[in-house]
Amino acid sequence: MKIPLKYNIRSLFVRSGTTLMTIASIAFVVLVYIGVLALAGGLRVAFAASGDPRNVLILREGAKTETESFFDQEKARQLAALPGVARGADGQPLASGQVILLQILKRNDGSESNVALRGVEPAVFAIRPQIHIVDGRQFEPGKGEVIVGKNLAERFRDLKLGNEVTFGRIRFKVVGVFDSNGGSFNSEVWGGALDLRNAFRSSSSSFSSTLLQASSPDQAEALVRTIQADQRLKLQAMSETKYFAQQATANSGQFIILGNVLAVLMAFGACFAAANTMYAQVSARSHEIGTLRALGFRRRSILAAFMVEAALVGLIAGVVGAALALPLNGLTAATMNGMTFSEITFALRTTPDILAGGVLLALLTGVVGGFPAAWSASRRPVTVLLREH
Amino acid sequence: MGKLIWRNLLRNKRRTLLTLASLMFAVVLLTFLTAFLDLLTNTEAAVDNRLVVRSAISLANPLPESYGPRLQRIDRVKAVTPLNWFQGVYLNDRPENFFARFSSDPATLFQVFTEYRMSDAEKQAWAAERGAFIAGKALADKYGWKIGDQIFIKGDIYPVDLNLTLRGIYTAPGVESSEKQIFFHRRYLEEAMNNPGIVGTYFLLLDSPDDVPAVVEKAEAMFANSESQVRAETEAAFQLSFLEMIGNVQFLFQAIGIAIAVSIFFITANTMAMAARERTTEVAVLKTLGFQGGQVMGMVIFEAVLVGLLGAAIGCAVSAAAITGMARQLDKVFPLFGTLAMTPRAWGVGLGIGLLVGLVSGLFPAFSASRLRIVDALRRVA
Repeated sequence: MKIPLKYNIRSLFVRSGTTLMTIASIAFVVLVYIGVLALAGGLRVAFAASGDPRNVLILREGAKTETESFFDQEKARQLAALPGVARGADGQPLASGQVILLQILKRNDGSESNVALRGVEPAVFAIRPQIHIVDGRQFEPGKGEVIVGKNLAERFRDLKLGNEVTFGRIRFKVVGVFDSNGGSFNSEVWGGALDLRNAFRSSSSSFSSTLLQASSPDQAEALVRTIQADQRLKLQAMSETKYFAQQATANSGQFIILGNVLAVLMAFGACFAAANTMYAQVSARSHEIGTLRALGFRRRSILAAFMVEAALVGLIAGVVGAALALPLNGLTAATMNGMTFSEITFALRTTPDILAGGVLLALLTGVVGGFPAAWSASRRPVTVLLREH
Repeated sequence: MGKLIWRNLLRNKRRTLLTLASLMFAVVLLTFLTAFLDLLTNTEAAVDNRLVVRSAISLANPLPESYGPRLQRIDRVKAVTPLNWFQGVYLNDRPENFFARFSSDPATLFQVFTEYRMSDAEKQAWAAERGAFIAGKALADKYGWKIGDQIFIKGDIYPVDLNLTLRGIYTAPGVESSEKQIFFHRRYLEEAMNNPGIVGTYFLLLDSPDDVPAVVEKAEAMFANSESQVRAETEAAFQLSFLEMIGNVQFLFQAIGIAIAVSIFFITANTMAMAARERTTEVAVLKTLGFQGGQVMGMVIFEAVLVGLLGAAIGCAVSAAAITGMARQLDKVFPLFGTLAMTPRAWGVGLGIGLLVGLVSGLFPAFSASRLRIVDALRRVA
């Protein structure tokens, strides 16, 4: 015969102080786990929003990122002329040379960071239609104007709409703020390729990368193969989705490791706390257990009853921890993109799988921690149980 | 009194042990986080009278070669040496094979990095050969390199691949991280790129740390109206600027640390509350015997602090052992973290949290024990 669930729930809250404290300690484990993994989740979302499977990114052979890459613009022209590159409404190829430069800027709090500047050609806005102006207007090439990603505008004092800022040797005016649907471009400043190149006066005829768009993902793959096969170009091509997936892995890996190591160690600690509570429950209720056994409940029913209680403690703690972690969703965090050496700002994402992982962790903690007490409760002879007080 | 506290702790051995175990795990975590943060902010290789001069735009922007002689002319500057961060890939791009690779000037390197030791014969051999390089002893030991060995490094930032021959092994006594680098001729790199004449950073050795502010000001002013403006800062500030770029790491670690501390607080507070509740009758008996409220309170708090400190001490000891073992493993796969160590600050944080948590968790039960009215307690059926 099974002991009704109601008995477990009521029992737990007879000694509510102990139970609540255990729930609190496990809930904090869940909070830390979800919080750290939300950082990894946010980075993944930001990079995933940046790639389009129809787009092909071309870098110098050997360069791992756009920041390290540069090649002559003559090659960029050859790339744009390749068959397989889609054409825009104006009949021009959907191709944009891009220049990536880094500039040290002060954050609002006075600390400093590298900000990525991206010089682009007009076709880029047809290739990346997700970029839209949310404040101000689009920049005009040749006029020393730039637009800044939404996240940067909020974090760097010089990058507010209407401000002037020096990049390299030239002053630029911030004329617009853009959003790329939460993508990693929100941490970049965009301007004309020529304007930014002039400002840094370095290698005035080179691009960091070229972005091409094919008419379909399959066409894009064919384009990648064509460029890879051409030994004379000394360039490497890859799908844009793959490029950003690499950055996502490289940058979120540390948080995934950190989150899991923390979670496992903290969960071990919390297991002992759960064990303590369940032992206290068992010893306080030895009389009750004896009575239940005397009434004819089997050992395994007693075991099951206490396991259910332990699982309940874990589950409640998991839900509480997840609820505490929910407000983290959408908070902005910033870190250095280890591959491009520039700051990336992103929103924390407590995705359903991360939340579920946290609740599961708590449930496990409760069950593992509660088992020894539940086992000993079910093993003790009725006579001993009833004699205790 | 002391005996009473000790007996109380042992009265429910299982409970005390479980509490100590959970405290231990939490303290191990806290000390790990602290040790890791200390590693990130470690500037042991920095010397107070060494400056770094780099482009004010960003590290990715090089400076002209012509700046070197001009910096040398600033008063109080003893020596100047150019260094370019080459990066590149050795063997494969796994983190275990990552170490710092610099293009450098053999004529001035040792004048600025005076703590590096190498024989004159090796210095001459290195300087005489364009394709020669020198390696720190720790790194040479790791790869088993011997003088005359050749290595190949594939360029990534620079479109140049390097074929280098080892001509010298230097030591940097007491600073292991400084021995995990290699230096090769900047002329090798320059010629492979048709002599662009670019320098990533200039390292300056000054007469004394007191000269830092004046030289910083002069260096920055000297190039204020030049093609490339510069930023000058101490070597330590230069190293910490990388951490500043990483951004919220410190905040993240602090937030995690606080969450762990709160979590242990609940665990210990729970134990103390359980222990106190069980002993309500006993406390009443003690009071009947004439013990004062304050004495009873002190006893309960002392017991809580003892549990907190004991758990923290075990945690710190486990941490110290684990960190030493881990650093040895990390050195093989992630050399950057090979110098992870249980710092004094980590000990402090671990023991401090144990003390604090013990105190706070003992407070409430202690207070209620001291306020206990004997009649109520003795009447209660435990």
